[in-house]
Amino acid sequence: MWEVVKSVLSAFFGVQREQRRRRDFEQGKPGTFIVVGIVLAMLMVIVVMAIAIMAAG
Amino acid sequence: MAPNLPPKAPLEHSQSVAGSPAAHEEEHHYRSGPLRWLLTTNHKEIGTLYLIFSLSMFLIGGVMALVVRLELFQPGLQMVQPEFFNQMTTMHGLIMVFGAVMPAFVGLANWMVPLQIGAPDMALPRLNNFSFWLLPIAFTLLLATLLMPGGGPNFGWTFYAPLSTTYAPPSTTFFIFALHMAGISSILGAINIIATILNLRAPGMRLMDMTLFVWTWLITAFLLIAVMPVLAGVITMMLLDINFGTSFFNAAGGGDPVLFQHLFWFFGHPEVYIMILPAFGIVSVIVPTFARKRLFGYASMVYATASIAILSFLVWAHHMFAVGLPLVAELFFMYTTMLIAVPTGVKVFNWITTLFRGSITFETPMLFALAFIVLFTIGGFSGLMLAIAPADFQYHDTYFVVAHFHYVLVPGAVFSIMAAVYYWLPKWTGHYPDERIGRWHFWLSVIGVNLLFFPMHFAGLAGMPRRIPDYALQFADFNMASSIGGFLFGFSQLLFVWVIVKCVRGGAKAPAKAWEGASDLEWTLPSPAPLHTFETPPDLRGFKFH
Amino acid sequence: MRKMLVLAALMASVTGLSRAARAAGWNMPVGVTEVSRDVYGLHMVIFWICVIIGVIVFGIMFYSLFRYRRSKGAQAAHFHEHTTVEVFWTAIPLLILVAMAIPATATLKDMYDASEAELDVMVTGHQWRWHYHYMGEDITFFSNLDTPREQIDGTAEKGENYLLEVDQPLVLPVGRKVRLLMTSSDVIHSWWVPDLAVKKDAVPGFVNEAWTRIDEPGIYRGQCAELCGKDHAFMPVVVQAMEQEAFDTWLAERKQEAAAAASGVDREWKLEELVERGEKVYGSICASCHQADGQGTPPTFPALAGNQAMMDDLDWHIDVVVNGVSGSAMAAFSGTLNPVDLAAVITYERNAWGNETGDVVQPAEIQALIDP
Ligand code: HEM
Ligand SMILES: [Cu+2]
Ligand SMILES: [Cu+2]
Repeated sequence: MWEVVKSVLSAFFGVQREQRRRRDFEQGKPGTFIVVGIVLAMLMVIVVMAIAIMAAG
Repeated sequence: MAPNLPPKAPLEHSQSVAGSPAAHEEEHHYRSGPLRWLLTTNHKEIGTLYLIFSLSMFLIGGVMALVVRLELFQPGLQMVQPEFFNQMTTMHGLIMVFGAVMPAFVGLANWMVPLQIGAPDMALPRLNNFSFWLLPIAFTLLLATLLMPGGGPNFGWTFYAPLSTTYAPPSTTFFIFALHMAGISSILGAINIIATILNLRAPGMRLMDMTLFVWTWLITAFLLIAVMPVLAGVITMMLLDINFGTSFFNAAGGGDPVLFQHLFWFFGHPEVYIMILPAFGIVSVIVPTFARKRLFGYASMVYATASIAILSFLVWAHHMFAVGLPLVAELFFMYTTMLIAVPTGVKVFNWITTLFRGSITFETPMLFALAFIVLFTIGGFSGLMLAIAPADFQYHDTYFVVAHFHYVLVPGAVFSIMAAVYYWLPKWTGHYPDERIGRWHFWLSVIGVNLLFFPMHFAGLAGMPRRIPDYALQFADFNMASSIGGFLFGFSQLLFVWVIVKCVRGGAKAPAKAWEGASDLEWTLPSPAPLHTFETPPDLRGFKFH
Repeated sequence: MRKMLVLAALMASVTGLSRAARAAGWNMPVGVTEVSRDVYGLHMVIFWICVIIGVIVFGIMFYSLFRYRRSKGAQAAHFHEHTTVEVFWTAIPLLILVAMAIPATATLKDMYDASEAELDVMVTGHQWRWHYHYMGEDITFFSNLDTPREQIDGTAEKGENYLLEVDQPLVLPVGRKVRLLMTSSDVIHSWWVPDLAVKKDAVPGFVNEAWTRIDEPGIYRGQCAELCGKDHAFMPVVVQAMEQEAFDTWLAERKQEAAAAASGVDREWKLEELVERGEKVYGSICASCHQADGQGTPPTFPALAGNQAMMDDLDWHIDVVVNGVSGSAMAAFSGTLNPVDLAAVITYERNAWGNETGDVVQPAEIQALIDP
């Protein structure tokens, strides 16, 4: 699971290693990546929102 | 999903067309008469139809742009009245987005996705035929609105309510119907592409072996399915407001005109990615071919494209900074826009690193791809500037924005399409496109496009609003330069038509592998690719992917 | 070292260029408010960041294109991945942007803080003119484009402020915080003056807030920035900033004029008087849709000349002008025109372009209708 999160985070950042990609595609299920992706995107929304609220403060 | 899933039902279909004797007769029957084109379910023929349709729309939309540029050549009203001017800008935008750029990418996908994944055809061939033929009908209807009483759509391609509802010409209902049809066409096309990519890959080709063109299209197709229904929803609300007395966007009835903009841009921002991700794919295929070197950072490219798809839903209100959003919303959308722009923008570095220490030649497709990298990046830079909300108050709704999105869309998306056409014409026709005319086309287009769009940055900064038929005197020089560039660019496209016609009719014969550095699956097929290919899946043992 | 020098020289000359560019009207104006100067600063910083990144990136690109041509015998290398490099070149722009976000946030907060304003002006967008209401001062007026039609059609020489001139500018005092409340009576407009760095949409049914504090007296010109229909290009914004004293004098004069203009509701008006006054009102308000010759542009804007339904039914005619037609472009004018102007323009419409009804509508009738 942690590996999936790491992969999704590096996707958000936009950089990934060939080796890890190979492993993701050979061992991972697309479903988990999509779910984790959406969850992390929501998390990002919450974090950015919190920053915005604080900045607007 | 199982990567080695053997192709099932669709293959049977293609066998029944090409394999069995009865179907063979049917095929010969198809070959004669115009009905063949009307009824074809062949991915190559449908791809060709899409591309021809797109080119026609590109030329029609281009003529409208030239009407606009002619009027703006000098201050004062010379050629057209404001009513007609607004119809021209609106129709130009609608036609270029929904009629030229999107169908061109779908056409390229039709042709090349099956060839690049070793599939015999698209997964849903009849649906494919249907989704194409919706388009000519939709756009005939859309163009016909110009002849209706009160004229055609005149409220900009973003059709903000209530200008597009309460205050719109009577033809707006037809505009909505046309857009619905184009939207259905896109959704069906997207479903077909997804089904093809996920189910019909040749045995042995895993997702991770696919070319970036196929990857970017897979992701684009998901975006399309996600946002086209939002567009359909918002235009249906318009329809109800106009014809059935509802007040979704009518403040006098308790509605909210700003709601329209939220819905529109929730569709609209992913839509701009729909128009650029396949372009990324094309450039990522062409640059390695002519640099004779593998794409740098394939894995990053795939991951970043996937995440862009999700994150592109979080930035829509950067188009609405001046609409009066609360401060927190303003900050939120400024931050997300900045965050997402970076991983997107730095993909440019991957292409440049691919060039670094390559062995580079400059055939026409490469020229267009290289111009794409430079000029798209300039559009990305102005995008970064627009992301700074306080500064956007000055840029918003000026020619600066017009410059921005034309840089990303014309020398961006459109150049990538031209690059793709030059790149794959040998595969489609069996002949190389004429290099000499191609070069002329390229250089005139590059000069024209920059003369056309670069001065718009200055005009916008100096204070010229967009969508105006007449302007104050201090903007005159910029506009004159733009208009000259516009005509240069516009007329250069006749060379493009010429190259294509010439290439279809003859030219230097192309071998199966038309470009020395090319390595993808389509280049294992003869040129021109026969009508039916990969009827038996290719043997990919030992094939070197990307 | 020599490269550095060349680079520095280049930068210097480009900086000089950018100054020249601004003077020649190629760049964003610095403007005359603290906010506009902040915005200009942000604009230039992000611009230079883009230029520097561009020079580096395109430099490497063109170097590669030049150096690694196959015609020069270049052999392709085989590397195709380097995660550290990728992380590095992603992180740097990210950090730069985070750094940009800090001043941008500060400026934005400043722009949003309209509290403690000393003067409130309600700005209402109409197709296609602005309407200003000095709140608490009882002064309201329309601000119409003042460029003659002949200049637009090219039969007369265009003036210096072509399309950026109005009959009555918005007059504001310098050095005081002015709050602008924006709304619209029809479609969305956007009130924009580049020198003040204020651009805010005027949305029907909503009131948006913006503010400005102008440093120097002068005339500042802008335009409607949101497509609002046919004459979107022809609804400029002109702000005239003056010293407090001059502003007070102006305010007093305007009040007197307004009182004079609204007077006469009670007296009996003659047909000729009303037609004469009505023609002016029609020309500045109604003609943009219904045309100077009353022919309109059907089906969107109906003709008034020879309009039998209108001539037959006086009450309906009055109702349309006073209360508007909901669900159409015809606005209600009871809030923006005084009873005398309303009576005058209705009388004019019933007696112009061959509409010879001979009807006279008295201001008192309209007054009775508006507040009974
Ligand atoms: C670096 C990435 C980008 C950023 C940060 C960015 C940012 C923006 C912003 C903030 C606006 C709104 C400007 C305004 O109206 O005031 C805008 C407008 C626009 N952008 Fe981008 N953009 C980027 C890339 C792209 C790409 C890749 C495309 C399409 C291929 C695109 C197409 C457009 C279009 C069509 C509009 C204007 C729509 C309209 O108002 O008619 N942009 N962009
Ligand atoms: Cu956007
Ligand atoms: Cu307006």
